[in-house]
Amino acid sequence: MKKITLLIFAGIFILTACKKDEEPEFDREAMLTNMASGVIIPAYQAENGAVILLHTKAIDFTTNPTTTTLADLRAQYVSTNLLYQRCSMYNFGPSLDYGIKAAFNTFPTDTTKIESNISLGSYTLGTTTHATAIGFPALDYLLYFGTDAEIILKFTTDSEATNRKIYLTDLTSKMKTEFQPVLNQWTGSYQTTFIAANGNDVASSCSYLLNEFVKDCELLKNARIGIPSGQQTGGLTMPEYVEAYFSGLSKSFALEQITGLKTAFTGGPGIGFDDYIRDVESDDVTLSLADNIISQFDVCTQKITVLNNPLSNDITTNFAAANAAYLEIKKLLVYCKTDMTSMLGILITYQDNDGD
Amino acid sequence: MTAISKIKSSLFDWHREIPASTLAFYRIGFGALMLFSTIRFLANGWVHDFYIAPKFHFSYFGFDWIPFPNATVLYFIFAMMVLSTIGILLGFFYRISAVAFFVIFTYVELLDKTTYLNHYYFVSLIALLMIFLPANRFFSLDTYFGFTPHQKTVPKWTVGILKFQIAIVYIFAGIAKLESDWLLNAQPLKYWLHTAHHFPLFGELLKEDWVAYFFSWFGCVYDLLIVFFLLTIKTRNFAYFVVIIFHLTTWMLFPIGVFPWVMIFATTIFLSENLHNKVIDFLRGLFKKENQFNDTSISFVKPNSKKLIHFLLGVFILFQLTFPFRYLLYSGNLFWTEQGYRFSWRVMLMEKTGYAEFYIRDSERLAEHKINNTDHLTRLQEKMMSTQPDMMLQYAAYLQKEYKDTTIFFGTNEFTFKNPEVHAEIYVTLNGRPSQLYVDKKHNLAAIKNDLSNRNWLEEFKE
Repeated sequence: MKKITLLIFAGIFILTACKKDEEPEFDREAMLTNMASGVIIPAYQAENGAVILLHTKAIDFTTNPTTTTLADLRAQYVSTNLLYQRCSMYNFGPSLDYGIKAAFNTFPTDTTKIESNISLGSYTLGTTTHATAIGFPALDYLLYFGTDAEIILKFTTDSEATNRKIYLTDLTSKMKTEFQPVLNQWTGSYQTTFIAANGNDVASSCSYLLNEFVKDCELLKNARIGIPSGQQTGGLTMPEYVEAYFSGLSKSFALEQITGLKTAFTGGPGIGFDDYIRDVESDDVTLSLADNIISQFDVCTQKITVLNNPLSNDITTNFAAANAAYLEIKKLLVYCKTDMTSMLGILITYQDNDGD
Repeated sequence: MTAISKIKSSLFDWHREIPASTLAFYRIGFGALMLFSTIRFLANGWVHDFYIAPKFHFSYFGFDWIPFPNATVLYFIFAMMVLSTIGILLGFFYRISAVAFFVIFTYVELLDKTTYLNHYYFVSLIALLMIFLPANRFFSLDTYFGFTPHQKTVPKWTVGILKFQIAIVYIFAGIAKLESDWLLNAQPLKYWLHTAHHFPLFGELLKEDWVAYFFSWFGCVYDLLIVFFLLTIKTRNFAYFVVIIFHLTTWMLFPIGVFPWVMIFATTIFLSENLHNKVIDFLRGLFKKENQFNDTSISFVKPNSKKLIHFLLGVFILFQLTFPFRYLLYSGNLFWTEQGYRFSWRVMLMEKTGYAEFYIRDSERLAEHKINNTDHLTRLQEKMMSTQPDMMLQYAAYLQKEYKDTTIFFGTNEFTFKNPEVHAEIYVTLNGRPSQLYVDKKHNLAAIKNDLSNRNWLEEFKE
């Protein structure tokens, strides 16, 4: 009896050992390692550098408001915002602790609140009531609300020019001081914590990655395209609800966002959710769900590419295209929220479960 | 004695007296386990998460009338539940405690079907049976204080009905596994075992297809046969060892909570009376109490109540044997429509995940508003609702009420919903199949009655 048991165990070990030689084994830890060092930290480093430069350019502009410094600041705003689109889907851990997502990109921005803050010259920007008066959307308003001359006027001879200058640099300074510690934690102890949480429970890194990834997909579908194009309002378009309404760069940001989301799925050149899916799938599967999702990402990218800046115009003049993009992102979401979620068995609550 | 007459006599000698220690042992075990499980529930903050946090609750069919308690009352109820488990454990005011526990536990379960679990239903049934069993006639505070006469023996049916209930759980769970997803595709185990791949040593093994098939087939055979091995004196100790291994494995691999412990405890009823006695003696030793009672020879059953007992047992047994088969009254795939799915011992059979988008529509179709489900439901509620048709209808009815005569502002635009319709577009994936449309947007779900008729508003299931 003992001999037989021993034989069985030996057999099992030989079987698994053989398998190891055939193909590289996937495990969540390897995926998390790649996501941290290959995707998230590089994205955060790039964004951190850009945010620091953004603040410098804001100081340059406020010290000497000219068309040149304004153009410089705007260019830096655009590149910082574009880089942020590759960070927003990792809104957990340090990023969540510092409330980066809400502080950086809550739109539409509340221009009345911004103006009243400037007039008053006194505000606590960190409170939730000011979430709609800070971050990229507020910068978008301050730097693009009118012609160059009108804007420079507001920062020079206008009676509230001093307050406006302070408000602008307060915004960039806030972003800079908040983003740096997030990066520091990622390059420091959080990376280890992140990789160590390699289970499939609700507090695991996989659960965080998947949930925030899906949430950002939904945000792209609803907030960036759906709501402005009237999906929530019976077809009545809401142009002022687009992201980056004043600069009119919403489409460019949306395009960057879908690219960032795809990287969040594939893990770039390294191990990502796509490899996880392939590992779970049977070897004889005809169309891998991973390929299916990747090609759906490409369809979405293509549908967003054919939209035009400013999106606030395009949703009216080019409604069919906006709607097509909306529907394709929805299809992507169906794959991610049903097929992928089901296959990976990553939990969303602590509740006991007997599978019924 | 021939084999048949042997079976006959063992099946029908319901009133033969057997040692009372088995019931006392069971009472203590059940009380202790329920005490632990209630405290665990409280400690996990689930009273808040499951009952206080949600704005809206999914009532069970036919039970929408039960009043919903506020937070204070709810915590008071849970305190009473803790007390009742202690009462059962000690055999102190046993009958009152048993009634209280059954009523409270079942009431709490009936508050919201989001948290439905087969093992909660099992606990409710055992609690119901315990009310009628003389589990406090031996080694209890009730006998110590003389509230109830001490008795060395109890009629065989009191233990037999518990064994029957456990047999029902296993055998029906086994029958439910006799279907193609489980046996031919090893689903959902193929996916679920994969989630445990980070375990050292055998983690890699759990990814193998043959392991999923082995677990599926073994689980099915185990469920179908384990009771018979537990019933046979020769094999029962080995069978119990298998029970422990089986449930500990599921406990390690799946987020299954107290269920394994409930079953590991529940099956002790099959072990020898000697063992139950030894445990009681051991506990008695802890309290340094000798058994010094004059045992009454009067059975707790009044002679003229035998007919009533037979009748009640018959009704209970008949219900247990037929209720899980009610799905046969419906057309369509059981996993897809879920008609007759609950209360049928279908455990670990489905990996079903859905994505549900709900829309409020003005009846004149002037406006359509997409609902953010998280504004109304907890994550768990949303997850459960997204795959369960009756919950979809309940949610739709709730939304209609919520949005009736409501004005929504979007910037400077406002929309008033006078007689809102509720539409939904829902996609579902079942046991590894690609996701497919579950509910088409064309239906006004608020106009569909949530009743027991066929759910033909669901899309056709594609294999």
